Amino acid sequence: MSTTLKNCIVTVSGLTAATVAAFLFYRYVSGNSGNISLIYILALVTIVRFTDGYLPGMIASVIAVVCVNYLFTYPYFELNFTLSGYPVSFLGMFGVTFLTSTMTANMKEQARTIAEKDKLLSETEKEKMRANLLRAVSHDLRTPLTGIIGASSSYLENPALLPEEEKIAIMTHIHEDANWLLNMVENLLAVTRIHDQSSTVKKTDESVEEIVSAAILRLKKRLPEAAVNVSVPDELLIIPMDAILIEQVLINLLENAIIHSQSKEPILCYVDDDNATVTFHVKDYGIGIDPERLGNIFDGNSYIGNKESDSKKGMGIGLSICKTILTAHGGTINARNHAQGAEFYFTLPKGETHHES
Amino acid sequence: MNLKHEILLIEDERNICNFIMTALRTHDYKASSAGNASGGLSAAASGCPDLILLDLGLPDMDGIDVIRNIREWSNVPIIVISARTQETEKVEALDAGADDYITKPFGTSELMARIRTALRRSTLSGVVSAPAENRYKARDLVIDYDRHIVTVNGTIVHFTQIEYKILTFLARNAGKVITYDTLITHVWGPFADSNNRILRVNMANIRRKMEQNPADPQYIFTEIGIGYRMIDNENLE
Repeated sequence: MSTTLKNCIVTVSGLTAATVAAFLFYRYVSGNSGNISLIYILALVTIVRFTDGYLPGMIASVIAVVCVNYLFTYPYFELNFTLSGYPVSFLGMFGVTFLTSTMTANMKEQARTIAEKDKLLSETEKEKMRANLLRAVSHDLRTPLTGIIGASSSYLENPALLPEEEKIAIMTHIHEDANWLLNMVENLLAVTRIHDQSSTVKKTDESVEEIVSAAILRLKKRLPEAAVNVSVPDELLIIPMDAILIEQVLINLLENAIIHSQSKEPILCYVDDDNATVTFHVKDYGIGIDPERLGNIFDGNSYIGNKESDSKKGMGIGLSICKTILTAHGGTINARNHAQGAEFYFTLPKGETHHES
Repeated sequence: MNLKHEILLIEDERNICNFIMTALRTHDYKASSAGNASGGLSAAASGCPDLILLDLGLPDMDGIDVIRNIREWSNVPIIVISARTQETEKVEALDAGADDYITKPFGTSELMARIRTALRRSTLSGVVSAPAENRYKARDLVIDYDRHIVTVNGTIVHFTQIEYKILTFLARNAGKVITYDTLITHVWGPFADSNNRILRVNMANIRRKMEQNPADPQYIFTEIGIGYRMIDNENLE
């Protein structure tokens, strides 16, 4: 229904515009009706391009021929098809319309198929990503859950027999696993803040030092014994970002450094200010990263087939989520080994700086 | 002072409810609970608790409306319990009159600290001309409200008027989170631009003047997306 309406509107307005233009042209420029035909042909092509099906173009061409005859050929305001050569111009206009209709119809059809194919492709891609993520998540969730269920059931089955220190050990274990689960869930929640369709985030201007200090504060709440040396540039940096997500990235990197470096040396966390970007560094002084894993450490499946079967040792999901977050921000994240350990660093664009009084 | 404080918990999750109730009782509070908003409102009206813990995700009513409802007739401290990623909801709750919020999941010690702060603030505001109110002290920081002097480690630190205004407003509300909007309204007036860039700039200056390391502050903490919280006043212990 609505296509019919649209076709009607396009046809009528196209013809009206052509008639007005032709009239002005005829009146003020020259009395040659050949140019008038050209104006109408232009209108016909436009109409065909913006309507669906053959009918509108056909009807329009008939009307156009009649208009030229009726309005712009002597005798004016009378139909006279006996003029010499008239059938030729009539057929010519009709032919042009028919050909353009066929061509645009074909074109539209092709565009549609291509778009559909693209959509299908990106959907399978998305589906694949989702499946991968789900597989990784369930793998990572099962381990701590097994621990929690096992520990709590061993407590519940014979509470009387367990010595006091054993009970405390069990509870500590449950507490640790639960905290790890929480961390995991927070990471997953973070990802839901990234819009599915456009893979972008809602950015607001945030102060870099506040993000860093908030991340350190939350880290210390979770790991009170964590030792971090932190510093920010003297100049206040305000850059656009989703604060919660960048905080999550920092926490993931800091926590990785603490848990995986196998070193008690304080971790170094600092911020570099370049011209167009700001770079956050998290540097540890531990065992470094296996060079084999450096290449795909952000892929999210680097723990699969890893010699360490304990999934807690796998940094898989946390790092792949960091990567997702930074990509959505238009930034980058990288890892490298330095002389005494590992370093992760990520870069955010500063965006346009606006000055306010 | 030996009277037990009464705390009302409005929370629909039974497991969480049980855990908080146990924690409250072991810390020597008189605790009661309600599983939904309507029950909670009537309990608040009839029981006159000293403090209300309110979960924002209740089944029968929006938590923000519960706060507004209570604020119509009472100034009882309200601490909101909410999930982490809902910043806008937290800000809304604070602006609607909640005193503080705590993010799920939380440990018992964190919850008890928040409750103590809120209770202390509410008992103080009831006392006319409380003696401790002309001075703020936390660690090495001392603010003398009467003489307009701020010292860190005994050395006087000079602030601009705006900075001093921000600092003292946070200090007078120490322990409590202050939203960006509240702070801007207080310092620059109700018609100020709600863009908080200028607030951030001032805050950065304040931190550079009194914190040893602005990236690891000791006195003023940032609650991302919400506002600032200043460390508790030790004078009131």
